[in-house]
Amino acid sequence: MPEALLRPRPLCGRTLRSLLRPSAIALAVLAAPGLAVPALAGQKPGEVQAERAPDEIYAKTCGYCHGRNVGPIILGRKLPAETVKYIVRHGQNGMPAFRPTEVTPAELDALAKWVEKSKARKDEHGY
Amino acid sequence: MNELNLDRRGLLGAGLASAASLGLGTGASAQNPAPLAPHMSKADFAGAMKAFRGVVGNEWVFGDEEAVAPYAKVYVPDPLGRHVPVGAVCPQSVEQVQEIVRIANTYRQPLWPVSTGKNMGYGMTAPATPGQVVLDLKRMNRILEVDADLGTCLLEPGVTYQQLKDYLVENNIPLWIDVPTVGPIASPVGNTLDRGVGYTPYGEHFLFQCGMEVVLADGQVMRTGMGSIKGSTAWQAFKWGYGPYLDGLFTQSNFGVVTKMGLWLMPKPPVYKPFMVRHGEMADVPRIIEAMRPLRVSNLVANCNLMMSASYQLAMFRRRHEIVPDGAVLDEASLKKAAKANGLGMWNTYFALYGTEQTVAAVEPIIRASLTASGGEVLTSAEMGDNPWFHHHATLMEGGLNLDEIGLLRWRGAGGGLAWFAPVAAARGVEAERQTALAREILERHGFDYTAAYAIGWRDLHHIIALLFDKSDAEQEKKADACYRELVTRFGEQGWASYRTGVNSMDLVAQQYGAVNREFNAKIKRAVDPNGILAPGKSGITG
Ligand SMILES: Cc1cc2nc3c(=O)[nH]c(=O)nc-3n(C[C@H](O)[C@H](O)[C@H](O)COP(=O)(O)OP(=O)(O)OC[C@H]3O[C@@H](n4cnc5c(N)ncnc54)[C@H](O)[C@@H]3O)c2cc1C
Repeated sequence: MPEALLRPRPLCGRTLRSLLRPSAIALAVLAAPGLAVPALAGQKPGEVQAERAPDEIYAKTCGYCHGRNVGPIILGRKLPAETVKYIVRHGQNGMPAFRPTEVTPAELDALAKWVEKSKARKDEHGY
Repeated sequence: MNELNLDRRGLLGAGLASAASLGLGTGASAQNPAPLAPHMSKADFAGAMKAFRGVVGNEWVFGDEEAVAPYAKVYVPDPLGRHVPVGAVCPQSVEQVQEIVRIANTYRQPLWPVSTGKNMGYGMTAPATPGQVVLDLKRMNRILEVDADLGTCLLEPGVTYQQLKDYLVENNIPLWIDVPTVGPIASPVGNTLDRGVGYTPYGEHFLFQCGMEVVLADGQVMRTGMGSIKGSTAWQAFKWGYGPYLDGLFTQSNFGVVTKMGLWLMPKPPVYKPFMVRHGEMADVPRIIEAMRPLRVSNLVANCNLMMSASYQLAMFRRRHEIVPDGAVLDEASLKKAAKANGLGMWNTYFALYGTEQTVAAVEPIIRASLTASGGEVLTSAEMGDNPWFHHHATLMEGGLNLDEIGLLRWRGAGGGLAWFAPVAAARGVEAERQTALAREILERHGFDYTAAYAIGWRDLHHIIALLFDKSDAEQEKKADACYRELVTRFGEQGWASYRTGVNSMDLVAQQYGAVNREFNAKIKRAVDPNGILAPGKSGITG
């Protein structure tokens, strides 16, 4: 069997999920060549992470603290974008700083504007 | 802005415009720049930075104070400002790393490699000695391979736990990751290289590492284990390779720049059941350890347990002034009251069972019996429901992601000050009892709280003590520094030394491990990095 088939491929979708249950892995591998591989939103194997949208960065970095009783709420407070950028790069008080390698300058520009314009979220809490 | 909560404890407090004046910058300024490495001239530094720009482009080299600011933020006490980098360079490929290392040799510019640089409470991206340029590998964040059958992966240093988790989920690969408590922003490679820990059965990260690629100080690329065999399919499957085992040399050290790492990933078990054991008294420490040890040594309990003090737990989501007035001692009665009100005991020990319905059902009664006999209440999600602390640990023990523990940084005043002191002991109740007593005595005398946990490993204890202070208060920072040094020294006198330490104390801890060991490391350093360009001072190692 060609080596490539033994590697996990970027499969997704409900049918494939069931195929990848441990008992069905062999089947999935056999079936893989015949399946159209849909484009994934996420990271591809062997490629660096692509530019992310503000809501994704918020969900996977900022939002773990802000709005969860760890950091203060920042959505829906009309925080000026420049302030957001400064705090991200310097890390105010207990917040770590985030480098341009973690949140690129382009991502930060978009994120800061998005935070400034954001609406408050009911499910967030904290102080 | 006026509508904002300007409580100075708020991360947004203290007035944003004046943030720089609060010491949030690098500590350097145009009049008072961060010092270069002692052997270097300004011309050498400028030459190195120019050459770095030629490799990675202008936008990925940072040299002026404002641009270096994100690299200078630390939680650790640094009253003398010794741990300020002079720049940063950010490659995106192994070839660029090789070029940068060659340039560093030419100009003798020291480089401080980091993967994701979130070594929080140990120094973040800040170097051990002045004058270093951070070699920031975050842009190298390719997931090179995941093998669903073998349960292995091969990663670049900049891949965060979040990226790896997302990849597994998006591709329906039924493998887990194992996270330190700050997974979303930290990395498997960086954490493993500092020999960090997590909380599934794969929690002792370096045990589950398999194969590395390393750029050596002379620019050569070396692969460890089976990685240097052409055509080998076992690089991520067989740890040891042939001859001396080399991988350990590149952890907690400065002998090379790791550019790829293999790791083992745990297959998702059919059943996962998290538990919490609640003990009511501070003095229960030895009972808990004595009860847990046989379960851990026999592997009936297979994951690294966190035994959390009430104060550590409360510091995650509560503020100190809610429990005792500012300036007052954090007394046991107040702690107990606050713990109880939040569904916590004075010690809260978290473990989980992993397996099938049958294996979990068979093991659970045995474990319950011995933990109940230790005086603990054995609790599950049935009793704890959505208790935020239980939820936090239940998430961790299945390799889930959150940053709840960053809340610790707001425990005291404006916060922002944290130094981990992490002495090791054998997993014996009496040792833990003595360690807790000694730590409390020292911390309380310096005016700090005993916010601590024990990570119960296979046969060892990592006593994880969070020295929390208000970093905006220069006096408190000095006190924290003095307190930390006393902790290291006094524990050392009892035969207890740290498993890992921050840039603020690397030399101090290295001294405790003895002159012969130090000289051996120095000999290796001189042999593999004669110009001393890789992370001088890391783990107290210089040439
Ligand atoms: C609240 C809180 C909770 C924490 N909980 C945990 C925990 O549960 N477990 C735990 O282990 N830690 C914990 N930490 C500490 C720390 O944040 C983590 O260990 C984190 O994973 C380390 O940062 P990183 O992964 O970004 O590694 P990095 O900062 O990238 O690397 C760590 C060090 O390893 C060396 N290094 C890194 N990459 C390379 C390379 N490619 N080549 C050569 N050397 C390299 C460098 O010396 C570097 O400083 C916690 C911190 C905080 C604040």
